[in-house]
Amino acid sequence: MRTDRAILALALALGAAGCATGPKRLYAWNGYDEALYAQAKAPQDNEKYLEHLKQVIENAETARDKVPPGIYAEYGYALFTNGQLDDAVTYYSKERDTWPESRVLMEKLIRNTQRLRESRPPSPRDGPPAPLPATNPAPAPAGAAPPPQGGRP
Amino acid sequence: MTTRPLRLAAALLAALALGAAGCVTAPPAKNYDAFKAADPHSILIVPVVNNTGNVEAPSFFLSTLPVPVAELGYYVFPTHLVMRMLEDDGLSDANLVHQADPVRLCGLFGADSVLYVTIQSWNAKYLVFNTTVEVSFEYVLKDGKTGTTLWNDKRTVQYSSGQGGGSSGNPLADLVAMAVAAAVTKAAPDYMPLARQANDQVLTTPGVGLLYGPYHPQRQKAAAPVP
Repeated sequence: MRTDRAILALALALGAAGCATGPKRLYAWNGYDEALYAQAKAPQDNEKYLEHLKQVIENAETARDKVPPGIYAEYGYALFTNGQLDDAVTYYSKERDTWPESRVLMEKLIRNTQRLRESRPPSPRDGPPAPLPATNPAPAPAGAAPPPQGGRP
Repeated sequence: MTTRPLRLAAALLAALALGAAGCVTAPPAKNYDAFKAADPHSILIVPVVNNTGNVEAPSFFLSTLPVPVAELGYYVFPTHLVMRMLEDDGLSDANLVHQADPVRLCGLFGADSVLYVTIQSWNAKYLVFNTTVEVSFEYVLKDGKTGTTLWNDKRTVQYSSGQGGGSSGNPLADLVAMAVAAAVTKAAPDYMPLARQANDQVLTTPGVGLLYGPYHPQRQKAAAPVP
């Protein structure tokens, strides 16, 4: 009787295998969808999102895996909203170099961030984020650059 | 003694059927000619349009899209960053984004294609110990160069708060657990499983969903020159 049960269990597993998760995942996301949802619900909580993205990047880089598409860019943008313009450019560049499909967008963001960077003194990395101007000073093409998020709570 | 193998065979069949019941039955085949011809390498995921009274639905749904699309082998643009850029461009309303010219929209981001998702209806039934939510979605993928529709699908998905609850063998404990689950679902529904279920059925079911993108191993195998 014990073997019967084992066979039954095996058959159940086989039947379920046909439609389950399928093959191995391409990337290690670390619950990225949950983090994205949390960020959408509470945009003021940038720190948590920043930390999560950093974790995804570190895990992938340590394992010598490809960082999932969009993650370097999201991290760059989170740094940008934090006032870390130079770091933002670093990660926008990483996105561009990892994913050629992102080139048009990343170069726009890099250009605009550098322009913004030149128009004001550098902010200390570890200090409190310097307040950013509320509007984008550059007459960039529509949608080219996210204006910095001034006056974060 | 001859009945035993027969009984075992019947039980085996039943078990197989039960295990497979979670699968979707094969729907009618789709025409993928335009999709194959366009061969998009990147997909821009834009904010979700909400035709229901559920205020939170679009943002949670949007957050479940990048992972399955990227796992199919596409470059997916940074969803949160894209949303903020659209907002800064005066397109904070998802309806406006969906109405905008797809060619112009893709041009802004350098995207090969754009994925629009609309939540059509949202019906929650609160039963005594269980809550069932039925949601209808529409997915459309448009070409960034021509604006033509490459792929679309409509799906209604049901999610029950009692799902996967399992039974502990103690009927009273099960009853309490279900009552708690129903109450929690009423107060703070857990949408993520429902959204993931919809995405699984629509986006990733072979023959129905999106074709494999350039980074998917299946596609790389198929694209390799035959020796």
